[in-house]
Amino acid sequence: MSVAIIGVGQTGYRRSFPDKSSRELIWEAARLALEDADLDIDAIDMVISGVAPDALAGEASVERTAMLGFGKPFLRINTGGVTGSSTVFAGNTFIRAKRARAVLVVGLERMGQATSSQQVFNTIFDPVYEKDFPLTTITMAALRASMLMRLYGYTAMHWAKIAARSYQNALKNPLAHLHVDITPEDVLNSPLLAWPIHRYEACPMSEGACAMVLVNDQMVGDRTPAWIQGAASITDSYAMGDRIHRPGATLVDLLSLKLAAQRAYAQAGVDKPRDQVRAIELYSAFSSAEAMAYPALGMCEASDGPRFVEDQFTDPKIPVFNPSGGPQGANPVSVTAMVRIAEAALQVRDMAGERQVADVDRAVATGQGGATQFSTVCVLGKRPAP
Amino acid sequence: MDLVKIEGKWNFNYTYFAGESASRFFHELRENHRIMGTRCTKCRRLLVPARAYCDVCMAPTDEWEEVGPEGTLETFTIIATAFPGLPPPPIVMAYVTLDGADTALINLVHGMDLSDIEVAAQKLNKLPRVKVEFVDEPTGRITDFSFKLI
Amino acid sequence: MAEVGSVYIEGAALEFSWADPRRNLMELIYDTVSKAVEDAGQGYDGIDSVVLAAHDLVDGRSLSSMVTAPAAGAYLRDEVRYSDDGAGAFAAAVARIEAGESERTIVAAWGRASEHDVEELSRQLFDRIFLAPLGLQETHICAVNAQKWRINGGDTSSVEAAQKRRAVAAKANPRALQSGGWRSTPAYPLESDHLPLWADAVAAVVISGKPSSVRVKGLGLSSEPYWPGDRGLATAPALQRASERALAEAGMTAHEIDLFELDGMTLYDEAIALEAVGYAAKGQGMRVLAEDQRCNPSGGSAAGYSVPAMGLARIVEATLQLRATAGAVQVGKPRTAMASGLSVTAAQTQTVIILEAQ
Repeated sequence: MSVAIIGVGQTGYRRSFPDKSSRELIWEAARLALEDADLDIDAIDMVISGVAPDALAGEASVERTAMLGFGKPFLRINTGGVTGSSTVFAGNTFIRAKRARAVLVVGLERMGQATSSQQVFNTIFDPVYEKDFPLTTITMAALRASMLMRLYGYTAMHWAKIAARSYQNALKNPLAHLHVDITPEDVLNSPLLAWPIHRYEACPMSEGACAMVLVNDQMVGDRTPAWIQGAASITDSYAMGDRIHRPGATLVDLLSLKLAAQRAYAQAGVDKPRDQVRAIELYSAFSSAEAMAYPALGMCEASDGPRFVEDQFTDPKIPVFNPSGGPQGANPVSVTAMVRIAEAALQVRDMAGERQVADVDRAVATGQGGATQFSTVCVLGKRPAP
Repeated sequence: MDLVKIEGKWNFNYTYFAGESASRFFHELRENHRIMGTRCTKCRRLLVPARAYCDVCMAPTDEWEEVGPEGTLETFTIIATAFPGLPPPPIVMAYVTLDGADTALINLVHGMDLSDIEVAAQKLNKLPRVKVEFVDEPTGRITDFSFKLI
Repeated sequence: MAEVGSVYIEGAALEFSWADPRRNLMELIYDTVSKAVEDAGQGYDGIDSVVLAAHDLVDGRSLSSMVTAPAAGAYLRDEVRYSDDGAGAFAAAVARIEAGESERTIVAAWGRASEHDVEELSRQLFDRIFLAPLGLQETHICAVNAQKWRINGGDTSSVEAAQKRRAVAAKANPRALQSGGWRSTPAYPLESDHLPLWADAVAAVVISGKPSSVRVKGLGLSSEPYWPGDRGLATAPALQRASERALAEAGMTAHEIDLFELDGMTLYDEAIALEAVGYAAKGQGMRVLAEDQRCNPSGGSAAGYSVPAMGLARIVEATLQLRATAGAVQVGKPRTAMASGLSVTAAQTQTVIILEAQ
């Protein structure tokens, strides 16, 4: 049985919304999604909420402060960076299990209330072996980036080009947090955070809410759907040091993404992803992390990655990456992975406004969480999977 | 009309039980200046830091073995901005596979000339051999040791 | 693809402990998950999915599932972590099997009360602007509900007897926490032994679409508004609706259920729960809890408690009863059982699971 996304709601993303309480942000996104879906809250059978580390919002279980509708089944998911996609996938599951005909999924990021997100992110690492020795998501990404450069010949300019491409795309997305005309040179001139990562290759701290309405095929009617053709999620081991010597899948081989992509593509009937997918909303918290996704998503061999980056600017047949601007343009952590799916859905439904890519029959959205430990891949299409 | 902003501070206290395996690992650091790994009873990998079970096989570990004191650097970064809890920049952080281990271990690398970051990066890109150095007064924490290029 | 009503529990395990310095949180989880998998008797063959219930603030670090998920068997599997009660996660896992997305799924839930500050966390659940300044904790809401139940004419004559029966059951239950643990300070009208015995809890089950000794016959979920003042005090309306949905799916009435393992933070919550699911008449929940052995034979929250594990702990206890392996607290040979789990904030959402022996 196929599940369709028929409504998308986004509050838009900013450093902070000082005029809105957390529940108001949730309601706003939900309202927009229901309006887009042309459905009343009473038609919704279940609400699934995605909120990642509570510490970013400084509100414990903030999702419970904003119930939607009366007495509905309600569950909250927290899977870090992939929360947004896990939430959509759970909605997909409940509908396919025939336990709901329509599910409202909603995510909130409230990190505008946090003073230092890195201090919070620091607590994601193992308190026994690593807390005395603070790791950060930035250093984790830098460790990988330096390995990618050594193994495949990526240069600082490649990372800069990817970042600049995303900022330029974000200029066409009114919902994005950052609207800045940044060039690759600007990126290279920005302060070095942890070699080789420059500040402009990292994502902003954004907050905002996103919601979507998922329905079974009988409820689509004459609405414009984006069909979920494939949805897969894989969890890797925690210790990055364990992956360095893993045969066939080391630190920079995104095994969890590769396995998730294989599964999602198989469900969707995709066997030539580079030709059959037109737009890819990719979750990479740092521009260099995008490089690991290319081979995992079947775009090219790992060693051809640098060439693939350059070809994005000259070859119109290559899929368009992050037409929304991606996480570089807005990174409301709890919902970033949901936004990727929402934006992919808008592309498939031809509702992406100025950032619309032409002829999107199929789009892919990815999610990453926990320093590439969790990976999700969602394939959306104008038609249900064959 | 004023928009109200309420200040808040979260101050949760936790007591993390390190468990027997980690406790023994730390004990070995402090008392014997040794870094220990444990072997998975199924896949036979020597896992470092030592732990009670292997999460790939979902099986217990048995043998305790010392690794190092030398090893090979696998990947690194040079931290250029100050982060809470870390020593002042620039500092080098790297994954090192100590001799005998099947997994890599992360810690700081000290004693390098970091006046030119690019030059230092290229030196580390050669994946040099490193050795473990302990602090004078180890206390049984991961910060008891760091790496130094040989 | 499994239809509704054809998901089975193959293996189950539950451990309560307290401040065991020999094991870190991951090792605690690994032990119980390993036991559940062993209990299912098929090793890891066919296990392709893991559904977890845990909370960052309980575990003491953000995105705690990074380290805990692999301990629960998540390596290279489809794993999701609900920051919600274990029975809710169980329902989500059942949906995975029914949707044809998984052949065998591990469900695990835990909370280690000895590692975190239970009261501080409870205080932080309340709205920063209107409620937190009052220093509210969830047990205060339990107290308010208890008092409302009394005001509504709840029969209080059996309070002492009900607590006694719980204490006897908790002492006899081989799985209960027998030493250590922690109780907070009660607020009127609650007394100390009405409060939960906070413990380190890990519960785990393995489920699949292949016939096994216990079948999931029905399930239901529901929710209440956030503000305690908006809710139906002393009546647990979310539990009422959730049990109606579960019973409808199972094609049963509450009086046809042979055994109840209902989650409630305090003695009064357990009594009110029996009324909410329609087993005890209004105001009679305490008397039923005192006299009916088939109600929370495990000892309920007196046997050990830690959020968000309890819904799954209740499911495990019910499973053991249906298999007639509950040990000293076994109550006859029940054919059907109802288990429930509640979530923050102060039982705002509830999940009811109905199980049947095969």
